[in-house]
Amino acid sequence: MEESLQRIVFDRLKADGSLDHDWSLYVIAACNSEAELASALDSSSTHPASTQAPPAMPTSPAGAYLHSVTVQGFRGIGPEATLQLQAGPGFTLVVGRNGSGKSSFADALEVLFTGDSHRWAGRRAQVWKEGWRNLHHPHPAMVEAVLLIEGSGRATATRRWKKEEGVEAGVAEVQAPGKVKQSLDSLGWTEALVTHRPFLSYNELSSMLDEGPGKLYDALSLVLGLEDLVEAQTALSNSRRNRKKAMDAAKKALVPLRARLDQVHDEGGDQRALDCLAATGGRTWDLDALEALTDDDTTAAGEIDWLRRVVVLELPAPARVAEAATGLRRATLEREAATGSGSHRAGTLASLLEGALAYHEHDNVSDCPVCNTPGALDPQWKDRAQDEAARLRVEAASWEQALGAVRGAVRQAKELLVPAPTVLQRAADILAPGAVFEAWQQWRAGITLTAPEELSDHMEKNFEPLHSALETLKLEARTELEARQDRWRPVARDLTQWVKEARSASLGMEHDSSLKTAEDWLKKAGDSIRAQRFEPIGNQAIKLWEHLRQQSNVQLGKIELAGAKTRRHVTLDVTVDGVAGAALGVMSQGELHALALSMFLPRATIAESPFRFVVVDDPVQSMDPARVDGLARAFEEVAQERQVIVFTHDDRLPEAVRRLGIEATTIGVTRRPASVIELRPASDPMTTYLSDARALENDSQLPEDVRRRVIPGFCRSALEAVFTDKVRGRRLAAGAEHAAVEEELALTNTLTELAALALFDDKDRGSDVMSRLNQIGGWAGDTFKQVNKGAHHPYPGSLFRLVTDAEKLCKQIGARK
Amino acid sequence: MSSLTAGLLVEAHGLLAYSDAATAGLWPRAAALLARQALEQGLNDFWQVRAPGVEKGTRRSQMLCLRSYADEQLAEEANHTWTALSRACHHHAYELSPTASELKRWMRSVTDVVDSLETNGGKRRSPA
Repeated sequence: MEESLQRIVFDRLKADGSLDHDWSLYVIAACNSEAELASALDSSSTHPASTQAPPAMPTSPAGAYLHSVTVQGFRGIGPEATLQLQAGPGFTLVVGRNGSGKSSFADALEVLFTGDSHRWAGRRAQVWKEGWRNLHHPHPAMVEAVLLIEGSGRATATRRWKKEEGVEAGVAEVQAPGKVKQSLDSLGWTEALVTHRPFLSYNELSSMLDEGPGKLYDALSLVLGLEDLVEAQTALSNSRRNRKKAMDAAKKALVPLRARLDQVHDEGGDQRALDCLAATGGRTWDLDALEALTDDDTTAAGEIDWLRRVVVLELPAPARVAEAATGLRRATLEREAATGSGSHRAGTLASLLEGALAYHEHDNVSDCPVCNTPGALDPQWKDRAQDEAARLRVEAASWEQALGAVRGAVRQAKELLVPAPTVLQRAADILAPGAVFEAWQQWRAGITLTAPEELSDHMEKNFEPLHSALETLKLEARTELEARQDRWRPVARDLTQWVKEARSASLGMEHDSSLKTAEDWLKKAGDSIRAQRFEPIGNQAIKLWEHLRQQSNVQLGKIELAGAKTRRHVTLDVTVDGVAGAALGVMSQGELHALALSMFLPRATIAESPFRFVVVDDPVQSMDPARVDGLARAFEEVAQERQVIVFTHDDRLPEAVRRLGIEATTIGVTRRPASVIELRPASDPMTTYLSDARALENDSQLPEDVRRRVIPGFCRSALEAVFTDKVRGRRLAAGAEHAAVEEELALTNTLTELAALALFDDKDRGSDVMSRLNQIGGWAGDTFKQVNKGAHHPYPGSLFRLVTDAEKLCKQIGARK
Repeated sequence: MSSLTAGLLVEAHGLLAYSDAATAGLWPRAAALLARQALEQGLNDFWQVRAPGVEKGTRRSQMLCLRSYADEQLAEEANHTWTALSRACHHHAYELSPTASELKRWMRSVTDVVDSLETNGGKRRSPA
């Protein structure tokens, strides 16, 4: 965005205290660029943009005036022709018949600067584009404008075409005296040529109001230089719209996903599907839950879990069970064998003998401490007892061992009697685990058995049925699980993908309300800035319209730019005969055209424009004479500060300018055969006719007979002109309507009738004309007679005298009240 | 065509064709004046042969009379051309001088009318 505009936006944010809000950052970022907005929304952390105000406003550009326009080989202009202008504020009229080449100057100027012409932007585009070269002088083709630029002086802008080149191929350059040629773009006018287009043409103006409200709005608002503001608004609304779009897409994508979840659940009662439906069913989504649910490795939900746990159920290995049962039997047998040998008493006896031996050894006694038999404990006894004790010890140890072995075998066996896992009950809804559960409980019941034989019998009897039943169940569970996973996985995969989208969409929507606030604020600020900037243009347009409306009953109250985007339009507060709210439809073509001119002249002439000139081509066409007066006044006003160059095809505007005493330079354009263009300063018609008569009189190259035949005609026309002006001036001053005056003038058929109308305000008093003229002097009546007659026959007398007398007569009549 | 009429037309053509600073801008009206006089001269010649005295009446009367003496189409064309040239010879409010192509057309018409009046006695030549 243009810095001055950024500055305005920043100041407004500051002024209404909005800089503290996070959304103001978005406004500022959007004013910078769309990319800046994107990154601001991405990070949304610091406020780098808001801390520093944009620099202050630039000054208005250096203005340029036109000094001359030279055209060659372009449209109606053959050999080089130069339109000399006064480079400064003022009003210049270029007058020539249609086909005289005058519009070619206007077109050439436009093409020189823009490379294009409004004439080429329409249906007849091709015809114009193909016929742009002059038929008599197709080459070289060139347009040159000498500019006077404030502050830098003279510069010459030129566009030249090579042979056979299309109009768009021309090369445009600009050169200041003593400097190198540069591309025309170096003037820096590219943008201004669009926004402040200093070229206005009748066609363009009249179409402007017909082309729909949007076109008019664009054409008027371009000049305000607020496109960047619109762009910033668009950036904000785009950002919002894209976010909403992403959210809508996520919502839309969810619908089929939820249908699939429903189906998955219906087909197999998958809890995950239910949970996913619950997580996405509300106004907000539980995306975390959804993510966990769709992560296949961490899912621990309901039936799938039960199935999974059934699938991994394990019993003790059959080999181990068999081994434990065998161990039990073997231990039992060994214990029985040990019981038979009475070895369970051997330990006691061994301990008794060992105690007696220790007693004998320690106290060296020989009497039996048990039975008191003296000397029983002799060395022989000792040897016997030692042997016996050792034998008994061995016997006792094998008993202990047999007992331990039985205990161990029982313990090992009972370790295998694992309890039935609860998952079997939980899985009852999905599978038929009843048999397995019962078998397992039966298996477990062995835990209460104490007898090793019973235990081994229990194991051998109950393991195999349980084992095979469990294997069957596990197979069923696995099959079910796989079926469910086959249904689930694709949904889960798509859900995982969706969660990513939904997450980014939700994240995006977090900024929505801030963005909306930003958007609303900028829209309001934009409308207000637009209104503020447009006001002077609107006001000037109303002022110009006051000139131009003349007898129109259409009053213009206020012009405003309203709406936005496809609904943008220009509000014209039009009042017709005091009735408000009237549409443009009630206006005549002439009024519409005048209205368009009222609006576009200010656009072309505001201070921001680098063009100090405005070129208006044929503004008069459908205007009635009264409005032409207003037009002349309007141009007079603009010409106070601008160089106004108006091309016109008849004498209406110049006449109004002369009659109203408006300061203007008039240049006449005529085109001889072979597209030879002549330009010459023109004054009022009377003066022109007389000076033409004088020129002919002095042109000795011309045969005398020709001069004698032609000069009286010019003198007569001079008289006609002076009479006409007299009639018109008097009548209009008395408040007559233009149309009535013109009609009256048109009814005069002869010079005498015209003279009578001018002299007596009555065309029928022709018989009094001569006597009135003779009052001025005999020469006056004679001159009148001579010029009237001499228009048909060669004048025999002195041509010098005739022209002199005619001049004198014209001046006297013109001076008379 | 009398040499006078022919001469006037030649001069009129000359004003159109040759760029000349002295006649710049004024040539259209000057040419119109000459062309009208050529037409009027042709008419005078015609009346002197066919109905002496008519040439003394106003041009308007002459044009009305011509319908009785010449082919109606021809009379119409003579009238039309004379009116157009007269308009160009007079000062008219808001009107600018005629263009080169208008003048060329009128001058062609003058030649045509005068030739027809002279050689066919007012009967239109069959188109070539």
